[in-house]
Amino acid sequence: MKPHNDWWSCDGGGPTPASRRTLLKSAAAGLAALLGGSSALAQVALTGSEKERDGDILVVVFLRGGMDGLNAIVPFGDSAYYGLRPGLGIGGPDSRSRPVSERALDLDGYFGLHPALGPLLPYFKDDQLAIVHAVGSQDRTRSHFEAMNTMERGLDSQSGGTASGWLARHLMAMPPRTGSPMRAVALGSIMPDSLRGGTGAIAIQSLDEFRLEANGRSPEVVERALAELYRTGSDPMTAAGRDTLKVLDAMRKLSPGSYRSEGAPYPNSDLGAGLRQVAMLIKADLGLEVAALDKGGWDTHVAQGTTSGWLASLLEDVASSLHAFASDIGPTMKRVTVVVQTEFGRRAYENSALGTDHGRASCLFVLGGGTRGGRVYGDWPGLADEKLEEGDLRVTTDYRQILAEVLEKRLHNAATERVFPGLSAQPLGIVA
Amino acid sequence: MKISRRDALQLGAVAGAGALLAGCSRLPGSTRVLPASVELPPGPTQPAVRVLNRLGFGPAPGQVAEYTATGYAAHLERQLAADLDEPWDLTLRLRRLEVYAFEPGDLVNFPEEEVLRQLQQAAILQAVYSPNQLRERMVEFWSNHFNIHGRKGHAAFRKGRDDTSVIREHALGTFKAMIRASAQSPAMLFYLDNQFNRRGVPNENYARELMELHTLGVHGGYTQEDVREVARCFTGWGVETRAYRYGRGRFRFDPDLHDHRPKRVLGHTIDGGGIKDGFQVLDLLATHPSTARFLATKLSRYFLGEATTDAVERGSKAFLSSGGDIRSTLRALLTEQAVLEGPPIVRRPVDFAVAALRALHADTDGGKGIQDHLEAMGQPLFQWPMPDGYPDKSEAWTGSLLARWNFALALTRGDTPGTRVDLDGLLGFNPGEKSAARIVSLVHGEHPETPTGSRLASIFGARPDPTEQAALALCAPEFQWR
Repeated sequence: MKPHNDWWSCDGGGPTPASRRTLLKSAAAGLAALLGGSSALAQVALTGSEKERDGDILVVVFLRGGMDGLNAIVPFGDSAYYGLRPGLGIGGPDSRSRPVSERALDLDGYFGLHPALGPLLPYFKDDQLAIVHAVGSQDRTRSHFEAMNTMERGLDSQSGGTASGWLARHLMAMPPRTGSPMRAVALGSIMPDSLRGGTGAIAIQSLDEFRLEANGRSPEVVERALAELYRTGSDPMTAAGRDTLKVLDAMRKLSPGSYRSEGAPYPNSDLGAGLRQVAMLIKADLGLEVAALDKGGWDTHVAQGTTSGWLASLLEDVASSLHAFASDIGPTMKRVTVVVQTEFGRRAYENSALGTDHGRASCLFVLGGGTRGGRVYGDWPGLADEKLEEGDLRVTTDYRQILAEVLEKRLHNAATERVFPGLSAQPLGIVA
Repeated sequence: MKISRRDALQLGAVAGAGALLAGCSRLPGSTRVLPASVELPPGPTQPAVRVLNRLGFGPAPGQVAEYTATGYAAHLERQLAADLDEPWDLTLRLRRLEVYAFEPGDLVNFPEEEVLRQLQQAAILQAVYSPNQLRERMVEFWSNHFNIHGRKGHAAFRKGRDDTSVIREHALGTFKAMIRASAQSPAMLFYLDNQFNRRGVPNENYARELMELHTLGVHGGYTQEDVREVARCFTGWGVETRAYRYGRGRFRFDPDLHDHRPKRVLGHTIDGGGIKDGFQVLDLLATHPSTARFLATKLSRYFLGEATTDAVERGSKAFLSSGGDIRSTLRALLTEQAVLEGPPIVRRPVDFAVAALRALHADTDGGKGIQDHLEAMGQPLFQWPMPDGYPDKSEAWTGSLLARWNFALALTRGDTPGTRVDLDGLLGFNPGEKSAARIVSLVHGEHPETPTGSRLASIFGARPDPTEQAALALCAPEFQWR
């Protein structure tokens, strides 16, 4: 029995007012099955479903450390590429000199997927995956922290003044879809900058461990006392305490340990485990609107490898984690958009340690049912010497154009200028 | 006559006092001796608690009274001097740690997990038990400023040496000497890839972070060209890889790998030649006005909760006029008024855990039992991957509350291996509601009749079990701030 995935086949498409009643009923049944028939749980879910489901759930994966976009999405059609990367270049789909397994997978005759990203090829062919190349911000410090902070705050460069994160501003701009205590989760122990300055966001390392270890005391009694301690006060910690208590209440009814994936196995990695938990939250219908995940380790200054090695294993984890997630939630991908981004790319030329130093543009992925995929978007600036910016791939697409378009079209945020101040929107048409 | 548990303990305490007089088990100077009086002094205690929270990791029993008697100026000078005797049992425990006793090369035979465990243990024990609390605060500050991720490239094995000869050696010394020590620290050179920085094939990682995070700050006025030039200055700075008799694992400058051509950094010609190129750059950066501002800003945020124009002015002026003397900078920055008036600062998990252990006079080994909780709270020491150190913004830590609550519940219940809290001894065997008032004064430094004190005491007092009262005291929002 696959109750949660069947919801969406009942009317063949997304939720419409006519189908809402059916939807609620099957949702309740699905949850009851998931939660072992707990009526309290079904109640949480029903409250969550009372409102129109009027937008996607957004999952943002941030690749920290600066992903080498030139080896992830290989511009094999640009002849300068192999000159810049004599040791690290990935052969094109027709490069006779290398075995087939070590060639890029053709996307459009010019760009190719790094072979370790192979699990994503079917999504590209199925138009669910779009890729944007030569994307980035205007931050030129080539500092991880400045560049990440710029992107997570949704700015074009650090000179902008706002301190809150772009996801937090989005959440603040939108009325909550449900009364959920968990509008946004960050899978990790630390709240990322993108979710800072908002409310209703919570950082969780592992849902299995999200419970009060009352050590022989009754958790409910302890929680009541905590509720008293945290009842008033508007400072960030006190507000977070109240959110935490609400989530504890919801999680007690969920028992995440018994969750079974319905798709390809998740890799045994932090990203895989994180996406597995996001899938669980989505299927449990707890009112999740935004999830933020990290994958670190992309700072490949030394010996990054080609079709195997350091970078390849990172890419493989990203691809198989996303594949596991998409196949697990199945038709629900219709109302999920996944964005994979990084703070900057690497230098166009490899360094002497067969690694790459900090550069400028990289690439970005958008995956989801509403994506107009099957295309590599962006304006390719070229890798010929005179086309480079201080030795780096030029940024020709502002990363905020994609995020703004996703928020507007998929999450129905009509005020994206408040999320990205000063951006003059030029949608790429990357989502429907 | 039946002897209750409390009576038995009371008898034990008397026996203990006798032993102390006889010089048997509880020797003076031990971390386990509870001061004669743990009562709060009369009058407002909040200023004392604020000072002890900011210049240290929070009050241990009896310290509020001690501070009140000393006064701010004398306390600050004593702490700046950092010459109070370390408790003998702390010294003994530290002496047993191989991370301090062994050369990095000899540590390689230990599992990395054990090395990381000892590094954390040393940090926790000293923060909890050293009377030189301001030095421990500065050690925390510099350990983040010169962050090294123990799990990158075997840095853990080299971090012990970095901790003693870079961080602790210079925590209250001069910045110039500190940055020189850091630049020659094998842990740092490995962590930021400088062993790959060679003539003709520069690696910019160390050069960039040296300017962005260690000295000038990202807006300190350097260019990408400066990064490339500084990288060239540090070509050949690496770690000895030859045999043991050459000092394998120690810092080594290899002239054959150094780029000897002239360089220009921040408008200055660098012509020292050989290893002197690097020293010339370090001296230039260590005394640069941008460095003074950057450090004064960071120190203001860390100690005062905000970087006001006034504080940054004071700090950077003192830094520059003293030639980068850290004590002078702190003395200028940490006026009593500035410490008392700044906004509250969120306790990061380490700060929270150490403050809890101090407040409850815990007997801890600083080992795995505590460290597992730190990890769950999001701050396993020496394991922040990026060179900027653990974040200091409150919002970064709002997700850690559940883990903090779980720590408080485990600690007070005696479910944290290697750590023991003697609540009966602490609470003076006052049964019932009196324990709530006592806990408010111990943990929050509040008299139970102040508004905050009475609110907390009434919530705690509604639970009969003192361990639960103590747990709630640590869980309270008030205890998450310093």
